[in-house]
Amino acid sequence: MTGSPMLFYLFAAVAVGASLLVIAQRNPVYSVLLLIGSFGALSGLYVLLDAPFVAVIQIIVYAGAIMVLFLFVVMLLNAPHEDTDYDSHVHPLLRPGPMRFGAALALAFGVELVWALTRAGQSGAFAGGAVSSVAQIGHALFTDYAFPFEVTSILILVAMMGAVVLARRD
Amino acid sequence: MSPLLIAQIGLTLFVFVMLLSSAAVMVYVERKVAALLQQRLGPYLVGPKGLLQPLADVIKLMFKEELRPRAADALLFALAPIISATCAFAAFAVVPFGASTTFFGLLKIPLRLQVADVNVAILVIFAIASMSVYGIVLAGWSSNSKYSLLGGLRSSAQMISYELSYGLALAAVLLVSNSLSVTEIVNSQAGSWWHVIPRWSVFLQPVGFLIYMTAGIAETNRAPFDFPEAEQELVAGYHTEYSSMSFAMFFLAEYINMVTVSAVATDLFLGGWHGPFLPESLGWIWFLVKVGALLFFYVWMRWTLPRYRYDQLMRFGWKVLLPLSVVNLLVTAAGVLYFGL
Repeated sequence: MTGSPMLFYLFAAVAVGASLLVIAQRNPVYSVLLLIGSFGALSGLYVLLDAPFVAVIQIIVYAGAIMVLFLFVVMLLNAPHEDTDYDSHVHPLLRPGPMRFGAALALAFGVELVWALTRAGQSGAFAGGAVSSVAQIGHALFTDYAFPFEVTSILILVAMMGAVVLARRD
Repeated sequence: MSPLLIAQIGLTLFVFVMLLSSAAVMVYVERKVAALLQQRLGPYLVGPKGLLQPLADVIKLMFKEELRPRAADALLFALAPIISATCAFAAFAVVPFGASTTFFGLLKIPLRLQVADVNVAILVIFAIASMSVYGIVLAGWSSNSKYSLLGGLRSSAQMISYELSYGLALAAVLLVSNSLSVTEIVNSQAGSWWHVIPRWSVFLQPVGFLIYMTAGIAETNRAPFDFPEAEQELVAGYHTEYSSMSFAMFFLAEYINMVTVSAVATDLFLGGWHGPFLPESLGWIWFLVKVGALLFFYVWMRWTLPRYRYDQLMRFGWKVLLPLSVVNLLVTAAGVLYFGL
């Protein structure tokens, strides 16, 4: 770790705080912006981990490309205020359909998080500086991880074709 | 504090002031060149030959009233120009503009004329360019006016479309120079072929250079791609509702983005600070000359070409520029692989 712990706590606090505020907003445009802030803080954490390439890619792909599309959709739908159509006194697990599903997902995620955190340190950590070199990342991507890489590209191709088919159906 | 640290801070401040004043100079140049091309005099009353015109403009903008539509989203309305200006300034941080210098022996370790030497500098420039779209989109949305919203939507569609070609043109240069660090890319362009042609990437990547400049003009929303602020259709586009200094920030961001795009083009395609006749320590003069030439080209384009139609812009971006940049990248990759350029 090259940076000071202070910077780590700063970025971590911004990331967690912004992520929590994302779900606390009534206006979806603010949610999108807070999510961008959270991504920015995450990319700061990557820089501290000596992985500038990952940090910049995080900004380009998530903050720069995907979130622009999110913002686009939110603005075009023109739904600045989300109305809650459920009784806030009822326990989340007892609310109708999607709410119950979301609560179940959140629960599963919580269990997973506890499971992962109790096993900290056992993951296959990279050697120092292994992720800082673009050449090394490229090499690993096209040798050891060539199959997952190509499968992902097919997945994206399928999604693209789906979008074209949906857009042409009229 | 060590002398090097002081020099580094001084350099950062210098770049900041230089960018601010370059915007002022560009305002004057834009008006003078426009006048030249339209056979009029341009500004000539304020100061000798109208040289103080930008100062007068700034003072006028400062004393204007700051207006905000009642239905606007107050926070985002205030934030949007700040995002635009910040992104414009931030991008220049990784652009080197001269060889290392010791300031005539004042420093023991030579200082690199670049605010931050990042080894993924190209990607940083690209990332900041992709962030600057938020300033425009949010300005359009938060103003709560139909002209602003249309301008904001157009600009995001335009910037997303042309960013792809912009990135692919950059990628082809990376293949040729085999590095992601701008300083190394510039240094790989030193020298010349057969003592005649300078070893600049533009000669290896002529198509890439054209794609880069076209996409760069679209990215900075300049004519003939100035749809986000097309006067005849959208009043002033995304900054219709802005006045005073918040308008000035958008204005500033546009000019600084032009300077950054030209500086990056100089570093990547035109050999940066390398050039004949001057020693390397004075290379920044060459850098200034090249950036100045590209900026003149920008202004020249604006006052020569009419604006495209919106559907023409989209068709050109997706059906001409993008396939062309993909082919350019493939040909470059094949060339590097089989001939080891």
